[in-house]
Amino acid sequence: MVLKIFFPQCCNRADSGLLIGRWITGQDSAIVLAVIHYPFIPGQVKQYIQQMQAQSGVELSVLGSWSLPKDGQDEMENFLKDLSTIFPQERWLQISRQMGKTGFTCEVLCRSQRGAAAPQKVSEKKDGEKHEEEKVIFVHYDQMKVMLSQLHPVENGVPDPKTDPPSELRQVFQTVASSRPLFFLDRYDDGPLKTTHWQSEGREASIIVELLKQASVPLCLLLRWLLALWAWLCNARVFSLFPLRVVGSKMSTCVQLSYRTEHMRTLSSAAPAAGHDQFMRKANILVSFLVDTALGWLLIWWLYRDDHITMLAHTLMPAADHVAKELQELLQWLMGAPAGLKMNRALDQVLGRFFLYHIHLWISYIHLMSPFVEGILWYGGLSASLGLTFALSLFSDMVALLTFHIYCFYVYGARLYCLKIYGLSSLWRLFRGKKWNVLRQRVDSCSYDLDQLFIGTLLFTILLFLLPTTALYYLVFTLLRLGVVLFQGVLHLSVDFINSFPLFAVSLRVCRSYRLAEGVKFRVLCEEPGTALHLLMEINPLPCGSVVQTYRTPTYSCYPKDSWAALVKKLFVGELIYPWRRKTSKTD
Amino acid sequence: MFGKIAPTCLHTNLCLCVVRAMGPDSAPDPTVPWRKVLWERQPFPDNYVDQRFLEELRRNEGLRHYHYWAVVKEAGFVGQQLSCVAIFITLWLYMEQGLLTPEMLLVTSLTCAVLGYGLHQALTSQVESGCEPRTHLADLQSATIFLSFTFGFSPVLKTLTESVSTDTVYAMSALMLLAHLVSFPYAQPSPPGSLSLNAALFASVCLASRLPGALHTFAMLSCALLVFALWPCLLQRLRDKAPSHFTGVCVGMCIGGVGGLSSQSFGGAVLLALALGSVTFLCPLLLVRLQRHKDNIQGPWDEAEIHEDLIHFLQ
Repeated sequence: MVLKIFFPQCCNRADSGLLIGRWITGQDSAIVLAVIHYPFIPGQVKQYIQQMQAQSGVELSVLGSWSLPKDGQDEMENFLKDLSTIFPQERWLQISRQMGKTGFTCEVLCRSQRGAAAPQKVSEKKDGEKHEEEKVIFVHYDQMKVMLSQLHPVENGVPDPKTDPPSELRQVFQTVASSRPLFFLDRYDDGPLKTTHWQSEGREASIIVELLKQASVPLCLLLRWLLALWAWLCNARVFSLFPLRVVGSKMSTCVQLSYRTEHMRTLSSAAPAAGHDQFMRKANILVSFLVDTALGWLLIWWLYRDDHITMLAHTLMPAADHVAKELQELLQWLMGAPAGLKMNRALDQVLGRFFLYHIHLWISYIHLMSPFVEGILWYGGLSASLGLTFALSLFSDMVALLTFHIYCFYVYGARLYCLKIYGLSSLWRLFRGKKWNVLRQRVDSCSYDLDQLFIGTLLFTILLFLLPTTALYYLVFTLLRLGVVLFQGVLHLSVDFINSFPLFAVSLRVCRSYRLAEGVKFRVLCEEPGTALHLLMEINPLPCGSVVQTYRTPTYSCYPKDSWAALVKKLFVGELIYPWRRKTSKTD
Repeated sequence: MFGKIAPTCLHTNLCLCVVRAMGPDSAPDPTVPWRKVLWERQPFPDNYVDQRFLEELRRNEGLRHYHYWAVVKEAGFVGQQLSCVAIFITLWLYMEQGLLTPEMLLVTSLTCAVLGYGLHQALTSQVESGCEPRTHLADLQSATIFLSFTFGFSPVLKTLTESVSTDTVYAMSALMLLAHLVSFPYAQPSPPGSLSLNAALFASVCLASRLPGALHTFAMLSCALLVFALWPCLLQRLRDKAPSHFTGVCVGMCIGGVGGLSSQSFGGAVLLALALGSVTFLCPLLLVRLQRHKDNIQGPWDEAEIHEDLIHFLQ
C-alpha cells in the first residue's frame, strides 16, 4: 500500500504542532490543511475542530503531529506519542523534518499496534529492512490555488451516493475549497490557538469588494424596478397587434433588446449565484455588458465629434441612389441579350419593365425620405449609448430597409421560378402518363383524358420554353439578395460574438490560469534513495478553446441552422431563404 | 395456397436428409423406387434424378402460327401511322411555303372532323359498349376547350421559339415525332397513349411556332389534334367494326402519305415508300420465316407459375 499525503506548501516551514486535515474515505490518502502550534489545550483544539466542521461541512480531524525541531528542542518523541492517545485516531502520522534537509520523514502508527509494541516505523532510512511497511508519497500543493480553482468538467448538483464516489483528485479539490472557514484565522489574531495555513495577503482590497457588494443591492433593486416597468410596457396591448408583433420579431434591434432584457433579468436577481456555473454566467454577462457599453460610448464619441453624422447622411443617400441606378442598368442589360443568351423576348420585356417600374417607385421613395435621413441617423446614433450591439443591430435593420427593393425583386423572381419548377415537374409526370400519388407518396401511372393531355402538353411546352428567362432573372436577383444577406450575416455574427463571448472566463484563464483547472500534473521534487518521494502538484489550466466552449452565453447562433446542402437545394427549387431564421425557443 | 405451384420448387436443396458420404452419382438401391418428394426420407441424395427427368421437357409451348397476310394486315396500322406523320409534315411544309392558307386548312379540318365524328357515332351506335358512352355535350365541351385554348395560346406559342435556332427546333420535332412513333400503342390506340400523344403535340407546337402568323399556328395545332388524337380513335373503331374497310383506309392513307410527300420532296417520298414497304411486307415475311427456327424449352426447372386468377381472393 502506498499512503499519499497531500501537504500544503505553506506549511513546509511551520513550527511544530498538530496536523489538521482529512482522511479521504476509500482512498488511502490524507489531506493536510493546517498546522496548530504548541502550546495548546487539547479541549480547545477539539472544540475548534468541531466548530470548523460545522461551518465547512468537511470531516476534519487531527491527522498527526508535525515537528520541525529548532535549536534546543530535541527530546520530543515521547511527547508526540502521548499526543496520539489524546486524539484517538485509526492512524496517526508523525511527520518530522530536519532543518537543512529537504525530505520529510514520516511514521505511521496504527491503533492496534500502538498499545502493544513499538510503532511500526516507516522511517525511510531503514527502508530496506522492513517488509510490511507502508510507502509514503508526499504531494505538495499550493493551498491558495487549489482552494480557488474549479476542476473541469464541472459537476453540478448533489452527487448520487449510489454511483461511484468522485475521484480522489476531485475530493482533494472539494475538501480544500470547502474548508475556507479554516483559513480565516489570521496570523495576527490573538486567540488561544496559533495555526499555519494559507493566509490572504491583505484585507484592504476586500473592503472595496465589501463596499461594492453593499452598493449592488440597491442597484439590483433599481434595475429590477426598471425591468418590471419595461416588461409592463412590452406587454401593453398595442404591441401585441398583428403587424407590430411580426415586425418586432423580424427586426434585429428588437431581438437584441429582448436579449439584453433577459441578460439584465439574470443580473438583477437578488439571490447570490448558487453554483460555479451560475456565477460564471453572471460574471460573463456583466463583463460583456460593460465592454459593450464602453464600445458604444466610444462610437458615440466618434460619431458626434466633428459632425460625422451629417457626413454619413450625405454619403448614404447618394449611395442608395447609386445602387438604384446600377440596378436599372443591370435590368437594361437583362432586357437585351445578356451574355449572349437567347431569351424569350416578350417575357423578357414584360419582366424588365415590371422591375424598372419598381425601381422607379423606389427612387421616388428615397427622394421623399432624404430630408429626414439626417434626423433619423442622429437619433439612431443615440442607441449606441445602450451598447455597440444596439448600434450594429440598428445598422443591420437600416441596411434591410434600404435594400428592400432587392428583397422584393428576389421574392418576385423566386415565386415565379418556384411556380415554374413545380409546374414543370408535375407536367413532366403528365407528359409521361404518370401522376404523383399523395397517399402512397410515389409516382403512379394514370390514364388521362384527351383534353387533359392536350392542355397539359400545351402548358408544358410554354413553361419549358419560358424557363430560361425566368431562371436568369431569378439567378441575378438571388445573387444580389445573397450579397445583402451576407453583409447582414456579418453584422449579426459580430453582434452575437459580443453577446455571447465569455470575456470574464477568458480573462480569468489569461490572468489567473489556475482558477479554471482541467487536471493536474506532478513534478518530482526530490527523490533521494533514503527519503520518501516528494511530488509537486501543479494545476493544468483549461485550454482556451474549451473555456470559450464551456462558458459561452447561449444565443440563437449556437444552434445549427440550415446545412449548406439544404440551402443549395432551397435555392435550386426557389424557396425563399431568410437571414432571420432562428430558433425562437431557447432551451438548454 | 395460391393455386398450383409447379413441383420444381420442391427440388431445392433443403438439407432434410441425413448428409451422406456418397455423391449424387453413386449407385442407388434398385429395390426402392425414387419419388420426387422431399418430405420423405429416401436412400437418394437430394439432387438425385432418374432417367424420367427429360420426360417432362416441353418445346415451344403456346406457339402461334402466323399467316403472312394476316400479319401484313396488322402491320398496315404501323405503316398507316407512319404516313400520318408524313401527311402532317407535308401539310406543315405547304403552310410554311404559303401554298396553303390557314383558313383553307381550318375549313378542311373542320369538315373532316364533323365527317369523322359522324362516322364514329354511326359505328358506335350499332352495338352498345360496356362502359358508359360519352354524351354529345361532353364531346362538344372537349371540342370547345381544345379550340378556345389553342386559339388563346396561339399568339404565345407563336413567339415561344423565336429565340431558339431553327435547327434546334427541327431536331427537337424530329426526336419527338420519332418518340411518338416508337411509343404509340398500336395494339390498343383508342385511349391514346400519354407519351405518344404528348410527344406528337410537343413536336407540332414546336413546328407550328415556326409558321408566319398566329392563325397559322392555330390551324396547324387543330390539324395536329385531328391527326394525332382523333384519327387513331376512329381507326380503332373501324378496325373493330369493319375490318374490310380498315384495310382499304390503311392503303389509302399510305398512298396519300407517299403522294403528298412526293409533291414536296421526291427523295423523301422514296424513303417513305421504302420504309412503308419494309414495315408492311418485309418485316412480316421475316417474322413468319424466322418463326420456324424458334426453339423454346420448358420443363420442371422453370420458375413456379401461379395459374389461378387472384381476383377472387381480393374480394
